[in-house]
Amino acid sequence: MNDAPTIKHQTSNFLNFVWRIVDVIVGGIFIYAGAIKVFDPVQFAIDIDNYKILPWPIGVGLAFYLPWLEILCGLALILRRLYLGGLSILTGLVAVFLVATIAAKVRGLDITCGCFGHASQNWNFSAHLALDLATLGALLALSFRVMSGNRLQDAV
Amino acid sequence: MKTHIFAFTLSIVLCLTARAGLKWDQTAIELHPTVTDKQAIGHFKYENTGDKPVKFKSVKTSCGCTAAQTQKEEVPAGEKGEITATFNIGERTGTQVKTVTVETDDPANVTTVLTLKAVIPQQLEITPTFVFWGQGEAPKPKTIVVRAAKDFPVKHLKVTSSSPDFRAKVEETGNGQFKIDVQPQETNRLIASTLTIQPEDSQKIFYATARITNARAVQ
Amino acid sequence: MVKSSLVRQALILVALAFVPGFVQAIFFWDKVSWRSPVPASEMVTVTQARAWGENTIWVDARPDNEFARDHVPGALPLNEDRWSELLPQFLAAWSPEKKVVVYCSSEGCNASREVAHRLRKEAQLANVFVLEGGWEEWLKEKR
Repeated sequence: MNDAPTIKHQTSNFLNFVWRIVDVIVGGIFIYAGAIKVFDPVQFAIDIDNYKILPWPIGVGLAFYLPWLEILCGLALILRRLYLGGLSILTGLVAVFLVATIAAKVRGLDITCGCFGHASQNWNFSAHLALDLATLGALLALSFRVMSGNRLQDAV
Repeated sequence: MKTHIFAFTLSIVLCLTARAGLKWDQTAIELHPTVTDKQAIGHFKYENTGDKPVKFKSVKTSCGCTAAQTQKEEVPAGEKGEITATFNIGERTGTQVKTVTVETDDPANVTTVLTLKAVIPQQLEITPTFVFWGQGEAPKPKTIVVRAAKDFPVKHLKVTSSSPDFRAKVEETGNGQFKIDVQPQETNRLIASTLTIQPEDSQKIFYATARITNARAVQ
Repeated sequence: MVKSSLVRQALILVALAFVPGFVQAIFFWDKVSWRSPVPASEMVTVTQARAWGENTIWVDARPDNEFARDHVPGALPLNEDRWSELLPQFLAAWSPEKKVVVYCSSEGCNASREVAHRLRKEAQLANVFVLEGGWEEWLKEKR
């Protein structure tokens, strides 16, 4: 009974490894994005304000809060602590952000994404959108994997 | 620096699928014009690394003080070129940031924002540049403080008044700081004077204004 | 069961993030403008400025050629290209009870804010305002 599905075991080990890499990459992206914004909260507040969705004082509050949330959730993904919580928060953040970005574009607002700090201000809209969709895709894939139940005991 | 390396790597990855068109050497240039420069010029070099020609649809600057010139309207594949941004300094001071927004027909890079940052050296800081007395106010002296920038030590300051109705006295207060005491002869007439402030050994001339205004309030 | 641990974990993260965020906000307390991006008292609408009537000095911060083409009646040109040349004539028209309204082409243009800033900082004038919407807005209101 123990040595029966050896190949299946190896394959699932390999898959686990691949998913871990995805965890680390996605977690890393958010830690990086959060860290950049931690260094210039004033600029991030201005970038949030450019979407013209939230009143300024709330934008400032978010500018101080969100980057740290991103860093903590990124760490959650990498360290596999509070993993589910981190995954769901990040998925929610990216989804909300995508909606806000598309809304701003439709309204004709001139926005520099702000997600990667002002370093990304010279990227064009489609590059940003592509990266965000890819990130959302990875997050959703990770979520589905968790929900499929098999590896639930790995996620703390 | 790490930011740029990461962003650069990421954009390479993204561009691998699109057959990249215009690639810019730099999209942000920082200039340090000298005290006597009238313009600050940034050369934004590009290369068409794609396989189709790229056409410039529009080149717009953020203000009337900056002009941007493309050498050609269309860039054939493989060719290099530059957009020259000329910023007229005028009498601007401090760090000025002006942008040039370039629109092309390249689907991978429709809009590019080129940023020109000019750090304009400020030799003297004059506070305030305007002193006034209300009509009938007591003609007591008012002080203008002049501070020399650290990179521009000033040993001596020459101050002249354009009108004999106002007297200006300069005094060095140490540490590159001077004070100018301005006093009108009388405050009944609406008289004015332009004070010319010139650091010794400098070509540049600075100004301050003194005048009597018809005012009910006192400064 | 998954759902409750997900919510619990998410709440922990949300709460944890407040700590460094709060500390950083304290650090930046004086360095950020909490109420509005540009202090509200600096901006004025066309309607408001016109209501001040005779007490208003209009300042056109646009380049010389645009001023020459058309400008607010009675406006004085003052731009950063010829600052020291144009400043004295502006100061001759100014007196302490006047309100200065600076405009440039539109909301997006920065020249009016820069000129207003210099008038406040260098000449130390009070009651210097920036016209919301600029020349574009003035033209709209004229109709």
